[in-house]
Amino acid sequence: MKVPTSARRSAPPPEQICRLPVQPGELIERGQPLSFTWNGRAHTGYEGDTIASALAGSGVRIFSRSFKYHRPRGILTASGLDPGCTMQVGDEPNVRAAARRLADGMDVRPQNVWPSLRYDVGSANQLVGRFLTAGFYYKTFMKPQRLWPAYERILGGFAPGGRIPRTAEADYYDQRYAHPDVVVAGAGPAGLGAALAAAQAGARVILVEEEYELGGCLRWGDAAELALLDELRAAVDASPDIEVLVDSVVAGRYDDNWISILQRGLARVAERLIKARAKALVVAPGLIERPYVFAGNDLPGVMLGTAVRRLINLYAVRPGARAVVLSANPEGDAAVADLRRAGVEIAAVLDARRGEDVRRAVGGSGVKAVEVADGRRIECDLLVTSIGWTAPTSLLNMAGARPWYDPAAARFRPGDDLPEGVLAAGGLVGDGTVEELVAHGRAVGAAAAATAGFGAGRPPPALDVRTHPALFRASTHGMVDFTEDVSSQDILAAAAEGYDSSELVKRYTTATMGPTQGKLETVNTVAVLAEATGRRIDELGTTVWRPPYAPISLGALAGRTHEPVRHSPMQSWHEAHGAAPLIAGAWIRPDHYGDAQAEARHVREQVGIIDVTPLGKLDLRGPDVPKLLNLVYVNKWSKLEIGSVRYGVMCAEDGVVMDDGVTGRLGPERYLMSTTSSGAAAVWEHLEGWLQTEHPDWAVHIAPLTTYYASINVAGPHSRELLARITEGVDLSPDAFPYMRVRTGRIAGVDECLMWRIGFTGELSYELHVPASYGVHVWQALLERGADLGTAAFGVEAQRILRLEKGHLIVAQDTDGLTKPYEAGLGTLVKLDKDDLVGRPELVWQQQLGEQQRLVALQPEDGSIVPAEASQIVRGTAIVGRITSSRFSPTLDRSVCLGTVEVALAEPGSVVTVLLPDARRIRATVMPELAHVDPEGRRLRV
Amino acid sequence: MPSRQASARYSAFGLLRRGLTHRDWPRVWREHDLAPAYDAVIIGAGVHGLATAYYLAAKHGFTNVAVLDKAYVGGGGSGRNTAIIRSNYLTPDGVRFYDRSVKLYESLAAELNFNVMFSQRGHLTLAHNDGSLRTMRWRAEVNKLEGVDSEVIGPKEIKRLVPFMDVSPEARYPIMGALYHPPGGTIRHDAVNWGYARAADALGVQIHQNTEVIGIDVRAGQVRGVQTNRGPVSAPVVLNCTAGWASLVSAMAGVALPISTHPLQAAVTEPVKMFLRTVVVSGSLHVYVSQTDRGELVFGASTDAYPSYSMRGSLEFTEELAGHVLALMPSIAKLRLLRQWAGLCDMTPDFSPIMGITPVEGFLLDVGWGTYGFKAGPVAGETMAELIATGKTPQLIAAFDLARFAEGRLVGEKGAAAVGH
Repeated sequence: MKVPTSARRSAPPPEQICRLPVQPGELIERGQPLSFTWNGRAHTGYEGDTIASALAGSGVRIFSRSFKYHRPRGILTASGLDPGCTMQVGDEPNVRAAARRLADGMDVRPQNVWPSLRYDVGSANQLVGRFLTAGFYYKTFMKPQRLWPAYERILGGFAPGGRIPRTAEADYYDQRYAHPDVVVAGAGPAGLGAALAAAQAGARVILVEEEYELGGCLRWGDAAELALLDELRAAVDASPDIEVLVDSVVAGRYDDNWISILQRGLARVAERLIKARAKALVVAPGLIERPYVFAGNDLPGVMLGTAVRRLINLYAVRPGARAVVLSANPEGDAAVADLRRAGVEIAAVLDARRGEDVRRAVGGSGVKAVEVADGRRIECDLLVTSIGWTAPTSLLNMAGARPWYDPAAARFRPGDDLPEGVLAAGGLVGDGTVEELVAHGRAVGAAAAATAGFGAGRPPPALDVRTHPALFRASTHGMVDFTEDVSSQDILAAAAEGYDSSELVKRYTTATMGPTQGKLETVNTVAVLAEATGRRIDELGTTVWRPPYAPISLGALAGRTHEPVRHSPMQSWHEAHGAAPLIAGAWIRPDHYGDAQAEARHVREQVGIIDVTPLGKLDLRGPDVPKLLNLVYVNKWSKLEIGSVRYGVMCAEDGVVMDDGVTGRLGPERYLMSTTSSGAAAVWEHLEGWLQTEHPDWAVHIAPLTTYYASINVAGPHSRELLARITEGVDLSPDAFPYMRVRTGRIAGVDECLMWRIGFTGELSYELHVPASYGVHVWQALLERGADLGTAAFGVEAQRILRLEKGHLIVAQDTDGLTKPYEAGLGTLVKLDKDDLVGRPELVWQQQLGEQQRLVALQPEDGSIVPAEASQIVRGTAIVGRITSSRFSPTLDRSVCLGTVEVALAEPGSVVTVLLPDARRIRATVMPELAHVDPEGRRLRV
Repeated sequence: MPSRQASARYSAFGLLRRGLTHRDWPRVWREHDLAPAYDAVIIGAGVHGLATAYYLAAKHGFTNVAVLDKAYVGGGGSGRNTAIIRSNYLTPDGVRFYDRSVKLYESLAAELNFNVMFSQRGHLTLAHNDGSLRTMRWRAEVNKLEGVDSEVIGPKEIKRLVPFMDVSPEARYPIMGALYHPPGGTIRHDAVNWGYARAADALGVQIHQNTEVIGIDVRAGQVRGVQTNRGPVSAPVVLNCTAGWASLVSAMAGVALPISTHPLQAAVTEPVKMFLRTVVVSGSLHVYVSQTDRGELVFGASTDAYPSYSMRGSLEFTEELAGHVLALMPSIAKLRLLRQWAGLCDMTPDFSPIMGITPVEGFLLDVGWGTYGFKAGPVAGETMAELIATGKTPQLIAAFDLARFAEGRLVGEKGAAAVGH
């Protein structure tokens, strides 16, 4: 055994004073003791224990304090829903200690306690509880408003739950896709029957059980039931078509049986989310035992019948010494038998079917006595109630079914309005002996298999419901929602104030909003509300159960990241050469290799190469490509010659500039479109959207080729000479390959390379698109063969400087969510005399309305000041424009800008005031052209 | 101040006295028979409808008003949003409008005698690339010029405000900076709805739950009233304050709206002890998150890509959400998601609302609030009440008229509102 270092060595672990002799169905391995700490003190338990059963075995009764009144809480359900058994285990908050298996060395601590579990200061809230009715905080702390933050800190201090660590070891979370024929949620008698029958019919089945073992209620049954369980388990084990997942839960059911399963218990994997597209889903969670509402119903020592049956039969824990039992059903009677067998003295059995009832449980830190309805007071330390059931219809509701209230059964039952492929089985549907539940499960399993295409389908038989007394609240008031500390009085008071529908009472009192999400509380909440309003439970209905069925960790939902970093094939070269990374959406790009200003100067004077692989590239083929181009670009495309490229601007339907780029015609029915790097995905979707929804008859096929090519821009006065050295089959002379043309040829021995003569930087330049696997080869060839020409790499920052000097805009930087093409210097491109054009109605208006703003080039009077991008251009305090781009220009040795200004200020030579973020005001002059450098474009066209 | 019996006022003293006497508080709003006629009918008992009714009564003495809702008070978008309040918008018009709303929210608890728990804990909009950092600076500059407290801060200050945040350059989406807006924060949305309803009720406004409008009567270009599942009601003024169904309700009056309706999903975790005291938004990661006073993390995202009236949650939403939240705060992987839900958002082409008059005389609109309607509840109520009472469109909402779509005068909040919460 590992001895936790935090254990107090001075205090030996307590004896397991509440352990019983060996029980027939016990899960604990007495030969394997485990050591852990509870609240800092050493404790022991056994392999197979839950944290809660180990503590109960040592006689621990108080497990936590409640959220609002800090009332002591013990075991209530001994299941994953137990509201009193939420604990901090190491750095994991909110662990369901009655469902989590004990492990050696666990550091287990109670939540909501200060300074200690036994003497808790917050429990003073109990004394003032009558003033802290549900929603009390809405009625006070209103004035003065400035004190609210202080009140809020105090209220926030009472927030329930555990502590989350600031730093944590990265656990490994996984995801898996599965395509089973049938998923069975729940492996009790019905779920086992369903899985077996479906597998027998030939279906591949995933059987999911929330607990660590198969069997559900069979596990705490009598000898015959244990024998039946053995038989069923053996059959499941023998079936190769059933995949069994224990300690796992079907968390959600989404459209078309898209099912999320949280799987735990895998080696080295914290949790795994299985996403299954199942042909059929069988929902077989059984029933949840419902707590009873009476005074003192949350005292440690008040337990449900199923809780004592679990403790005794699964963990050999004696839940008390002297018990009073309130029973309304055979399961309650079986609990009495279990208690007797465990040597618990039965002080009284109250038969609710004969009208016997409890009034209140009395005690401080635990039950000391029970007051019975007939006036007797019975000393005891355990009060067991078995008064009815809740059908957990959550997964069925996610499939669209609405539960309905059946007064005879005193519970909500699943509606039969289920979509095809979703079936309910067993206790969820009705009552029966275990044999009947197994038989029902088998019938439903066969029907599910038939839905999935295996065997003949027969509708599953109905399962009868036995009448059950409608017991919700005794003559006293008690807790309705244990995790939220909401009492029946709170609900009556809320209803009296007018919060009198299921939804309003939930929102006002927070009943059912805690970690159990109403599985224990919903029916009692509605029942008390019905009492308060004089309406029937079926009139009120329940609130909507929402996914997930069980809480699911963020880690499991996230899985491993599916958002890999994108980079070009040349990234390793960039890293080896000192590139500073630029994060651009999914891409990492070289920002600069040390000195962007020098890189920019180098391009103007000699030749540079830049990796532009992220540039969006779409291959367009088919006879109708010109129609598509005419539709999505504002300019005309019908007459683009083979071998030519053209600049185009796209507008969205609201007439706002959405993207730009060049498109070249490579063959009679073959085009290559380039988009901005950030717009690549959106443009592809945009084109497909128009093609698929508006023009499905057009013969156009689009293939995104962004990463098929590595893209390199070669720019600078020596670029032609450089390219000539490594290019074959293309005449690069200015007459044969002029500006705005495209050629295909062999570069550095690589065939099928595309070359576009375009110039974002304002220099003579060529954009090369080479198959990605040759990217590094071509990149290095350019550098090696051009070494004597001074060929050097330049990064994105230098490119931005160069394009700004040239006055080329960047969409989404120099334009925004309202920029009209007419205001961005693009008006001459817009051709409204086309068959159709995305955004045309808006563009027509724009043309009629004229410009309000205009994109202009600006130069600060003090050329040493580079105004921050987004600096506002102001007149007094009124905003009249803003700086959209600014850099220091190495070519002009001064700062240069692009910006938008009101039209009245847009005339060349007008002087505007720029408000810097540090509140300084500077003056800047509007330039005659957008280009600060080479407005005539001579350098491009050499 | 609503007139109300002193004994019905909420206060610590009142809690004490009723705790001692065990007397129930009076109803928060009363039930009424539906009258055959009102001076105005407001469709939708969400924050917009209730605030309009309250300001009509409180500021203009206009009390013969019915607020009709097909379900219960605050059951639509007003009870499904993530309750983030801010005014750090992009355009001067937007900043002024939402700043007025923040001001009204600041004094709302005292005015309504109902604690709405407005928690001005600060609001951070993260920038993960230089483009969004530029937008943050733009918003900060406009905000400052309009007198709203906003500034661009760097990773170190972000770490100080949110110790759980991974601000390292190695993060998958490195954080380059943020727009910090100290007056932003969260509010208890239900409390706002109930507080307005209670105050309006006290002034004589009638709130009718479970009263569905099934037709709008228009004759000779003038609205005459509505048909409901409880019978007809006549009124010279009918205000559509619905969300999710705004275009369908307007169609009953023959008014077509440029709206498409998209689900917007949200989710909440189990409670843990307080560790996140500011609201954190990341537009690039499509997520916003805050921690409630109850200890739960509340998450939201951008709207679903396709229009739908379905209010079901999807698995994919929670997967993407969790991945992105963990990219920001990697140590909270063990925190469990408890519940997810969806609401409906009426999106307009320019991400701005539609407020004011329509071609049908007397039929007014306060719709198209997209993902940001709750923030604007008080100011929308105040201005719509003024429009109803005076017949004149207040300057603050003049830019949001329906006619702008036919006249090419779109409003430029797209950049700040797309995932801006």
